[in-house]
Amino acid sequence: MTKPVADDGRTHIQSLLMRESLQNRKVLSQTDSERDLKIFPDVSLVSIGGQSIFDRGKSAIMPLVEELAVVKRRHKMVIGVGGGTRVRHTMSIALDFGLPTGGIAQLVGAMEELNAILLNALLAPHGSMPMQRDHFWDLPLYFDAGITPIAISVPPFHFWEPPPMEGAIPMHGSDFGLFQLAEVLGMKQLIFVKDEDGLYDRDPKLHPDAKLIPKITLEELIKRMPTENILDEELYRSWHEAKNLRRIVIVNGLKPGMLTRALDGEDVGTVIEKTS
Amino acid sequence: MIGERKTIASPLADATLTGSRPSPIDYRPVAVMPDVRIVKIGGQSIMDRGRAALFPILDEVIEARKQGIQVVVLTGGGTRARHIYSIASELEMPTGVVATLGKYIPMQNARMVQMLLAKHGGLFILPDDFEKLPLYLKLGCIPVMSGMPPFGYWEKHEAGSRIPPHRTDAGAFLSCEYLGVKRAIFIKDEDGLYTDDPKKDPNATFIPRITAKQLIERDLNDIVVERKVVEYLPRARWCKELQIVNGLKPGQVLAALNGEDVGTIISA
Repeated sequence: MTKPVADDGRTHIQSLLMRESLQNRKVLSQTDSERDLKIFPDVSLVSIGGQSIFDRGKSAIMPLVEELAVVKRRHKMVIGVGGGTRVRHTMSIALDFGLPTGGIAQLVGAMEELNAILLNALLAPHGSMPMQRDHFWDLPLYFDAGITPIAISVPPFHFWEPPPMEGAIPMHGSDFGLFQLAEVLGMKQLIFVKDEDGLYDRDPKLHPDAKLIPKITLEELIKRMPTENILDEELYRSWHEAKNLRRIVIVNGLKPGMLTRALDGEDVGTVIEKTS
Repeated sequence: MIGERKTIASPLADATLTGSRPSPIDYRPVAVMPDVRIVKIGGQSIMDRGRAALFPILDEVIEARKQGIQVVVLTGGGTRARHIYSIASELEMPTGVVATLGKYIPMQNARMVQMLLAKHGGLFILPDDFEKLPLYLKLGCIPVMSGMPPFGYWEKHEAGSRIPPHRTDAGAFLSCEYLGVKRAIFIKDEDGLYTDDPKKDPNATFIPRITAKQLIERDLNDIVVERKVVEYLPRARWCKELQIVNGLKPGQVLAALNGEDVGTIISA
């Protein structure tokens, strides 16, 4: 056993960081390396859009459920859901009340959970379960049993949501939350199921001449980021600093088969790759 | 035929939620509990020194509470946190895993402080218990919680480090920011901010007052509070000041809890 050191009045345990300030850049740099451990590299994370899919109701949800029921038999995946229009309504009311950013962050997750319950009720006969917040260590068990877990999408920043760059709306929404889940667990890919064919140079709902971007690297995308974006800015910012995740795919969930093709590794919709 | 989006009408119904576009809503923020004082007890600087350092600080916290000051105590990690960070780094654990490991030690420290404060109303609380603070404080309790923010696996990697950038200083600052408290108090074992780590550099000079902007511009190799907090300070809505006091000097903690400008004050 290593002996504690108490020569300066504080009792230390011997380690690389003993007595060190964790604000010291030189000390911090010793802790980092080029790679991170990849915990679940053969798992895909699938995000089903709130506004784009769930808010459309049965006609958009049911075909996706049927597709998931089949494709889940041959792919290890975790599903996350967005909250959609109820999240926006919550925020509108909360902002009008003047609630703090952390308070708003604490509220919004409930709206997504509703979609998670709906999806699970539909998918349960085919083998699905809601996953508790960070019960990742149950995942091998889920997959062995043929169960697809449905994860919580919003990150647990809650009352501690950091002050946003601008305005009062929390920066860390469900797009970021799911990105981080895929990143920290070293997953194979993150697939966003939306109601557009992918990422466009402009919002295709407003501009009929908007051009689809079929494939792009994250580095290129950051250089010419479309102002109207189908994914949150914070996702791109965080991904840029991250080490594990290499591939994000955006597919149209209103077109049958696109999600399956994305899970099979095909380049469909928009594929964003991180090369450095 | 696929149905249309069933949208609830609201000012944000069609807005992009993130990004730089101005909000369509007139936001007039409301402070949740502005009279609370958040004070963080350092891990390495105080807890790891044991009884000699901690007990006099707790006496001052108890005295402040007797004077009617609503104190909430947060705790830091210290040398055991450094030990697990060091081993986790060697194993190339992602920052989110390191941050999750980092939750446990400040939690132990919070439980220890609660045990010591129990007979004076010390109450161990969890991050989600903010909603019960009005009752606890009205009863004269001293809520004690871990300073570590609950980000855990969702903590982002920051370039050049595997250590979670939001640790217990960030937790104290973000608690103030949510509660609408103007100043976060940090109890350390130095008088405040210096030009370098005074434990390593005897020529380091004391800085009594500085703005976050000046501090960022100085680009010091080492600072006494987490960099994230200094980064957030200018854009904070409520928490506009960080106060660093020396808990080893009698009277400093009580003075800070009374709102006196002792130690170093970093302002937005």
